[in-house]
Amino acid sequence: MDRLVTVALALVALVWVGPYLWMVATSFKSLDELVRAPAWPIPSRFRLDAYREVFSALPVWRYTLNSIVMATLIGVLQAALALPAGYALAKLEFTGKRVAFVLVMACLIIPPQVTFVPVFTMLGPLGLVNTMTALVVPFAVSAFGTFLVRQAMLSVPNELIEAARLDGAGELTIIYRVLAPLVRPTLAAMFLFSFVYHYSDYFWPLMMTTDDHIRTLPVAVALLREQGTGVRWHIVMAGNVVLTMPVLVLFIVAQRRILRAVTARALS
Amino acid sequence: MSLRPTRTFHPYAMLAPTLAVLALFCLVPLGVAFHKSFFAWDLLTEPEPVGFGNYRALLASGELGELIVRTLAYSVVVVSASLTLGLALAVALNREGRFYAFVRSAVFSAYVVSWVAVALLWLWLLDPQAGLIARVSKGLGLTPVDWLGNPRVVLFTLAGVTVWKITGYAMVIFLAGLQDVPRSVLEAAALDGAGPWQRFRYIVWPLLRPTATFVATTSLILSFQAFDIVRVMTQGGPVRSSTIFVYAIYEQVFVNMRVGRASALTVVFFVLLLGLTGLQWWLWRKSADSRVAT
Amino acid sequence: MSRERGPSRRVFALGLGALFASACDRPARPAGEVAFWFSYGGNNRKVLLELVSRFHREQSAVRVVPTFQGDYFEGLVKLRTGLFVGAVPTITHVVGEVVPYLARAGVLERLEGVGDAVLSDLEPALAQFGTFEGAEDEPLVALPFNRSTPIAFFNRTIFRELGLSPPTTWDELRAVASRASLVGEEARWGFECPVDWWFWTALVGQAGGRLVEDGRITLGGEPGARALELWQAMVHDDRTMRSPPGRDFNAWEASNGDFLAGRAAMIWTSTAFVRYLEENASFPVGAAPLPGDVRRAVPTGGTFFVMPKGLPAPEREAGLAFLRWMMQPQQASEWARRTGYMPVSQAGRRELEATGFFREHPNFKVAVDQLSVAQRWPWAPELFRVQREAVQPRLEAAVSERLDVRKVLAEARLVAEAG
Repeated sequence: MDRLVTVALALVALVWVGPYLWMVATSFKSLDELVRAPAWPIPSRFRLDAYREVFSALPVWRYTLNSIVMATLIGVLQAALALPAGYALAKLEFTGKRVAFVLVMACLIIPPQVTFVPVFTMLGPLGLVNTMTALVVPFAVSAFGTFLVRQAMLSVPNELIEAARLDGAGELTIIYRVLAPLVRPTLAAMFLFSFVYHYSDYFWPLMMTTDDHIRTLPVAVALLREQGTGVRWHIVMAGNVVLTMPVLVLFIVAQRRILRAVTARALS
Repeated sequence: MSLRPTRTFHPYAMLAPTLAVLALFCLVPLGVAFHKSFFAWDLLTEPEPVGFGNYRALLASGELGELIVRTLAYSVVVVSASLTLGLALAVALNREGRFYAFVRSAVFSAYVVSWVAVALLWLWLLDPQAGLIARVSKGLGLTPVDWLGNPRVVLFTLAGVTVWKITGYAMVIFLAGLQDVPRSVLEAAALDGAGPWQRFRYIVWPLLRPTATFVATTSLILSFQAFDIVRVMTQGGPVRSSTIFVYAIYEQVFVNMRVGRASALTVVFFVLLLGLTGLQWWLWRKSADSRVAT
Repeated sequence: MSRERGPSRRVFALGLGALFASACDRPARPAGEVAFWFSYGGNNRKVLLELVSRFHREQSAVRVVPTFQGDYFEGLVKLRTGLFVGAVPTITHVVGEVVPYLARAGVLERLEGVGDAVLSDLEPALAQFGTFEGAEDEPLVALPFNRSTPIAFFNRTIFRELGLSPPTTWDELRAVASRASLVGEEARWGFECPVDWWFWTALVGQAGGRLVEDGRITLGGEPGARALELWQAMVHDDRTMRSPPGRDFNAWEASNGDFLAGRAAMIWTSTAFVRYLEENASFPVGAAPLPGDVRRAVPTGGTFFVMPKGLPAPEREAGLAFLRWMMQPQQASEWARRTGYMPVSQAGRRELEATGFFREHPNFKVAVDQLSVAQRWPWAPELFRVQREAVQPRLEAAVSERLDVRKVLAEARLVAEAG
């Protein structure tokens, strides 16, 4: 029984790891080799031609930089804006608090897939399509992140804040210097999740960019599947390796944190 | 409980950026979509009011009904398969050891990798001539299936790829849920002669049910939003057989340049999501109640 | 108090600063720069980019910056998006069927500025006025770039072994396809053709029909139905034709692939693939004109250069300079020679004839000769919608599920008329 389970699990691992290996193997092959014997997994020799082609056909660094800048800005802004909002919602007394909270929660159920058409028609005439602003600002606030930070702040004792106020600390100091370190795990989880999500995002950059200088990596790699004259799969797979590897490496390095980020979203 | 703000305007200032962004990119767009759904507009010429024309056209052509059925079929397959598989894997992998950790990471890694990468990868694996799957099934003497070319199969192919991508998520959440199952109870049950199935059925499952509800409803809502995989792998074809909701909206606005029609679809889509979220709450409340009751 | 440094105000300010800095990040187009959006992959992309670099070597006043925007339809999406948001290229190229729509929307610049010398040298049947009928009074907004007609490619080895020659009528097409088909282990299709608007239009013309008659969208009427029935018969009765899977160019790609792999003895595709097919086939490739039914007829295809309206004058001039250069005989013939598209310049075509290129590469000549039976497209703004929304999405199902073609076309007509 136990052996059977082990064999089954090994098979499961193969089903998940196999495709990656196939992707990497394909990227080292030549077109000729693909046409002749596509099922043979090991390339006859390791060619870097496909990678050379990817790097010469695409400004890969530019796209990668765009993706990283976009994902980082979004992550930082989400954390930075969630802190004061979460603090106000968790700790302060004011009229309209309920309404504000309901507003935030309402946006939880409205994904970008619902808003992209109107947002596109709104941003278009403002000349914002093809700018980093159009890629970042719509995601500068995460309703869920705000909620998470609020939850985390609820467990901070009021005395701490009162003591800080007595020390003469302003509200911003309290938020960013006193409370932020206390809710750091939440912030880290938020940032990681958002970074991984937006780094890989295809939907929004596809709609909001037409220009080379602002294009992000996933959009560019999807374009590698040029049509008309037979797909050159070794090149597409090389592009795919370039797109995937940073995330897989990040995943291996920060696996525990990413897992916490994912489960935090679930269990709150 | 709450503190008094040092200045009255403070809480408002703290919330202002958050609420401004949410209003601008969440609530206002909803209104805009609703308004635009009563116009015919191709982005280039002046919008023309058409009343309920867009909705009527969607209903009359049968497009809307087909769209909902297709999206639901895709979602049901995705949710039930990833849930079952994720649960099975979580139970099987809920133990120490490097091998188990490796399998866990392998399965979960697909959740982290981008949709585009997964779609391109599977497009190549499923290539009818040169793809690995076709080669292997030919080697095994099986009749090759036209995974992406057969209108009756393609939606399930996309669902299958989605399951590959998100099962890791279900598994991880179930693994977290399993940490709440007290080991001592399981051990006691085992001593009393309960087999693995009985232990699962009577101890583990009742405790996991709220988790299952959560996983099911979130992946349902998530699968309703699927787009990248359709755009990269099939562009909704063949014969619209894989055109699901978000892709249909995209197609209307960017390919057909029918902003009004797209807006009408958006409104319907939002109502559907609202319904699903309501269902989520209801199920969640129910499973929470039953948990208290047992 | 602060035991640990959290994300501080400075980080926040930095983030916002970077954001606003990047908000102004759209670089203004420098003087003499031409943003050129294009839609080619593979070999054609390479040829185009090499032409652009030669343009740069020959002069330094104008710099062309090419950006790949996906296939024609994706590129068109980007263009229309760009027109809406005011982020347009200097030049792009669009499929012929969409030119009337864009012209009617008033978003295209007039291109007479390219000069009479160029305009009078253009192959009339490939230029705007020869491609469309009823456009005599319209302004010139499109210059031909990569123009094609559908042609048949056949596997010479198979045809020689079976003693077949390319079909010239529909009946012959069916006979040849069934002779060339093989069932069993090494299955082979006698005929393969994407079930696509373009080839359907060819069949409609051959059956004697027109898409628009007297300003009414008829979709060919009876000939339109007969065109579909031919496909249905070949797919379902004869079982000699494969309709390749995939949407738009995915299907074209699939048929090219089947042909190259020897899984299809004959395909219909664009003349654009002559070079690609010849270079990648392990057998001699033959090209032939399409057959006729009650008459011979083919549509033209491919794309036209267009320029969005309202660009600053210097940018417009720079764009025209590049277009002028591309239309010149030398470039036109090089483009044709290296891709398989037709030379848009008459002098360029004569050059190819004079240097013996067509003699050595008869396959390249087929499309040019076929121009004599090319039919003009109606100058109808709704043409593109008719194609993309009314007809194209219905063809595939009509053939694969053998639907009642008259009902399908009636439905398509309804959609087309509804606008």
